[in-house]
Amino acid sequence: MGQQIKQIYLYREMLKNLVAKELRARYKGSVLGFFWTFFNPLLMLIVYSVVFSFVMRVQTKNYAMFLFVALLPWNYFATSVLQGAASLVQNGSLIKKIYFPREILPFTVVLTNLINYLLSLFILIPALLIFKVDLTLALIAFPAILIIETLLVIALTFLVAIANVYFRDLEHIMGVLMTAWFFLTPVLYPIDVVPPKAKFIFGLNPVTPIIEAYRNIFYDGKWPQWDVLGYLTVGLLILVIISLVVFGRFQKTVAEEI
Amino acid sequence: MTHEFLNANVVEIKDLWKKFQICQDKTNSLKERIIFWGRQRTEEFWALRNISLAVPKGKTIGLIGRNGSGKSTLLKIISRILYPTQGEVRVRGRLSTLLELGAGFHPDFTGRENIYLNASILGFTKKEIKERLNEIIEFAELGDFIDNPVRNYSSGMYMRLGFAVAVHVDPDILLIDEVLSVGDLAFQEKCLARIQDMQKQGKTIILVTHSPKQVEDLCELAVWLDQGGARLQGPAQEVAQAYKEFISSA
Repeated sequence: MGQQIKQIYLYREMLKNLVAKELRARYKGSVLGFFWTFFNPLLMLIVYSVVFSFVMRVQTKNYAMFLFVALLPWNYFATSVLQGAASLVQNGSLIKKIYFPREILPFTVVLTNLINYLLSLFILIPALLIFKVDLTLALIAFPAILIIETLLVIALTFLVAIANVYFRDLEHIMGVLMTAWFFLTPVLYPIDVVPPKAKFIFGLNPVTPIIEAYRNIFYDGKWPQWDVLGYLTVGLLILVIISLVVFGRFQKTVAEEI
Repeated sequence: MTHEFLNANVVEIKDLWKKFQICQDKTNSLKERIIFWGRQRTEEFWALRNISLAVPKGKTIGLIGRNGSGKSTLLKIISRILYPTQGEVRVRGRLSTLLELGAGFHPDFTGRENIYLNASILGFTKKEIKERLNEIIEFAELGDFIDNPVRNYSSGMYMRLGFAVAVHVDPDILLIDEVLSVGDLAFQEKCLARIQDMQKQGKTIILVTHSPKQVEDLCELAVWLDQGGARLQGPAQEVAQAYKEFISSA
């Protein structure tokens, strides 16, 4: 594994260039160009605010914000996993012709979505101020929560990326699976509405405490539950190690299977 | 070839075997894998059998043989694109592979942007790329086109840029897979000249070809591969001569 990390480091320039390529190429040729990165969350925000203030009125105070603070990190997670599943197969021609650490490809997906998520904060923070949500000192917990989420995103993205080479329909299964996962994670609703009997199942979902933590610091203005996040970090570190080992083991035949 | 003077060898291959699993009907979906668990009809195909090879520093070695003899597979294993089934491969120094020119170019990016992208895929840092940028642009002879998106390039321009990047990233070892047979005559000659330059600089070159003439002209050593095995290896002239006789008698 040390060897893997060293190789990724040696190819950091490639990683940087691929991320820059993804960020720029996505909107290349469009009129607004890079600004689409901001317009996407902005439009999302407008749609949700209108729908939940005028059409479907929800009891939760400031529901648009309640949703928005959870939806952005969810999108970072879900988009990474879905794009990650395709990352190796899509770049098959490159894999067959050039050696580079294959980890770079799913890692590019993670970093690109991480940057997009960070950029969407430029929409989120003003929106929170406009909707008069109190911003507190708890916001300084953000980097910690982001790192914890990124551990989960890296582990899952690496695992689905390598698995998809051997089981191609995983890419399509993931679409359905992520939708189900979305509804089983308290993004649309508060965790309190989950019936006590089902709480145990929800407790197994590693995304739940992450989403809760984001909601704590952005929406409730309070500190996240550090003990829960602490256990989660230990678990996720183990998962990251497993994902790297599995990836390293199976990447050897990738060029033949693609 | 001997295994003495180990330090002088930049590439060492020992008892290398490579097996491919060839599926009659390739099943890559989860459903089919479960249904046909353990019943898949796969055929084993040994692409390389018991290859041992040592390439001394600064030498040019030719891999010659007919289509399907395993030349490209061997090259891919040396460049770590494929992994050996058995045996050992050791490489000392930085390696650049010319399997396909311009692999990894992004059509919407300009030539200049693609130089950065491509060279970084080959494992180079920004500083190293910057130092060589002008040289690469000059070699590729693209003029003002360098700042145009490469989708507007002709196939010749595309290859020139790809070749320029690959040979200017200053590898210790250069692996070439029949790319010398592409492009117009002038470009081919330029590529050959560049390769001879690199030979003079003491670079190690491994060249895949099916032309005995190229082996005679460019190489010092050669390996004749036949059905995955090394049929003959030794001085380039000798191997090229034997191969020529074999071809004309076949």
